[in-house]
Amino acid sequence: MSRESIYEELANSVLSFDSDKVVQTSKKALEAKLNPIEIIENGLAKGLKIVGKKFEDGELFLMHLVAAAEAVKKALSEVLEPELDKSKAERKTLGKVVIGTVAGDIHDIGKNIVAAMLFAAGFEIHDLGKDVPVEEFVNKTKEVKANIVAASALLSTTLPAQHEIVKALVAQGMRDKVKIMVGGAPVTEEWTREIGGDGYAENAVEAVKVAKKLLKIQD
Amino acid sequence: MVQRGLKGGQLRLLTRKEARDIHLASLEVLEDVGMHSPSEKILGVFEKAGAEIDRKNRRVRIPQHLVEESLRKAPKEIVFCGRNSKHDILLEDGRIYFGLGGTPVPYIRDVETGEIRRPTEKDMAEATRVGDALPNIKFIMSIAGAFDVPYQAEYLHEFEVLFNNTEKPILYSCPGTYAAQKVLEMASTIVGGRDELKKKPILTLYSETVTPLAFSTTNENIIDFAKAGVPFTNGPMPMLGGTAPMTLSGAGVVSNSENLATLTLSQLVNPHTPVIYTCWATAMDPVTSRCSYGAPEFALGTSVLNATMAHYYGLPSYGFGGCSDSKLPDAQAGAEVMMNSIMAGLCGVNLIHDCGYLAGGSIGSIEMAVICNEIIGMVSRIVKGIEVNDETLAVDVIRAVGPEGHFMSQKHTLKHLETELFFPKLFDRTSEVTWAKAGKKDLRDVAKEKAKKILKEHFPEPLPKDVERRIAQIVKEAEAELLKA
Repeated sequence: MSRESIYEELANSVLSFDSDKVVQTSKKALEAKLNPIEIIENGLAKGLKIVGKKFEDGELFLMHLVAAAEAVKKALSEVLEPELDKSKAERKTLGKVVIGTVAGDIHDIGKNIVAAMLFAAGFEIHDLGKDVPVEEFVNKTKEVKANIVAASALLSTTLPAQHEIVKALVAQGMRDKVKIMVGGAPVTEEWTREIGGDGYAENAVEAVKVAKKLLKIQD
Repeated sequence: MVQRGLKGGQLRLLTRKEARDIHLASLEVLEDVGMHSPSEKILGVFEKAGAEIDRKNRRVRIPQHLVEESLRKAPKEIVFCGRNSKHDILLEDGRIYFGLGGTPVPYIRDVETGEIRRPTEKDMAEATRVGDALPNIKFIMSIAGAFDVPYQAEYLHEFEVLFNNTEKPILYSCPGTYAAQKVLEMASTIVGGRDELKKKPILTLYSETVTPLAFSTTNENIIDFAKAGVPFTNGPMPMLGGTAPMTLSGAGVVSNSENLATLTLSQLVNPHTPVIYTCWATAMDPVTSRCSYGAPEFALGTSVLNATMAHYYGLPSYGFGGCSDSKLPDAQAGAEVMMNSIMAGLCGVNLIHDCGYLAGGSIGSIEMAVICNEIIGMVSRIVKGIEVNDETLAVDVIRAVGPEGHFMSQKHTLKHLETELFFPKLFDRTSEVTWAKAGKKDLRDVAKEKAKKILKEHFPEPLPKDVERRIAQIVKEAEAELLKA
């Protein structure tokens, strides 16, 4: 099997939305002596990008985005990341993103889709999960020297936590070193401006465009 | 392959006993009161069959056994054909199909300017093409009359436009025996002869008795279609407190009586003639005297009564969906069209017409027809209903996901996503932000854009050149004859 056809099989496995299949195909690719970074870049991330494009064109829906994202996440954690750790190889990235759902909020589906799409686009993702305290956002940003902090909130009652993150970054003197993106159902452009954030998008595909724009990355 | 439409008929507001009461009342009316007929030809058919004829008052009283025998002879299932057989539709108990427009409309709302003006042959051709393109429209009538041709030959010109601009089944009127003969000749030319036309009826005649309880000479077209074995429907519109009793069931008796009379006429002429049944009761607006197409009584009268009686007789039926009293595609139009369409769908009326009809049938609107297409999609989803079985109850999936999980990436979700949900093509569900960014468009503007796109892009398969020429020739010769007379 040629390198190209394995890449294609990997991308297609993402488009099957079947996590077992994505895991299996990733294992097969490793057995064929493909390098894990290439497996991600030319296979899985490519598949995710196709899913994102099809979502944008109205051919696929939110559920497909989530299923594809979860399938890739599973293949990464079970198969590819252990290999990457062994080889100490690093993926070339467009930038580092610290992402999480804010304190008091456990809604992480939207955040997961955004994380997956940013990952597919080539960003290095540090996903803090859900119900993440302000300090944790700040500490992680400091630790990894993140380029973007992305905070998600679904409830109007947890929305103020996004403001707290901005204020904390200002207080720590880190505000000019990092771009802040906020998202979630109740978030608007006005809110983003009001709290002093940098970027907001209506959906995950848009979020990738906004992130690239904030870091002045050409498409 | 013939299309087998979605089955409606879940909503039954009347009982079988109530249907029987309407039936018996109608038999009594036909036998005791009878029908007036200025047509000697129609009286002659009934006389030959043994009905009592009062020549002085031109009245026929129809004995109940003639009606009952005729009801038994009328087919219970009809395949209504398009000139392209992929558009053939099966009419039988409860299967629903929506159709564009009705009979010629005196005004059209110009799709470009919004001006309300007299329609032309060109408007009718354009409206027909849009109907041909819209996927939820399954049969074609009209939302624009050809008002720029000599009125004596209007219906012939209109049939020519219909035959040329759609491949879908056509339901339309051609009053009187002369027009009927010419139209049957045109249709035979398309399918390759009279025998073929009987096997492949690419048209259904719409005739109309004069409420209350009168034939007119125009109804002689039923005799011509019966002889040809081509389906017809009779659609009188009795109005509560005007041309019918003030009560819906009383109006139903008048309507049913007239329709049983035409059904009996057709079976006496030619047993087993396909009949598409109607029973319509409508509301006369007590202020304006206009027949209200958006009244709740209109929905009860044209859907509930209609479907109840059609179901009782086991006959295919014809009713109303996409019509409104509003003068433009606005909120009133949306509400009235949804009311009529969902009632017709849930009651299981087979042919549901008038999509794109505004101002109670005075104004046709192509944008409204495009909006109707979307509403039909929603109605169809509701008629499809809720499936309950092990697969849909999904207990295993619920178990696998458990508390606090989500169902978005489940195989079960992706498997059922596209069949369980209706996907809007026209209506906007985006956020206020996205909507504002896209120019804050009103649905009317979106429908207009869609209509213009269809007009630019969609052209049905034309008739073979020689057939097209032959049909034009029939119309031309008939017009000359009609103008001389």
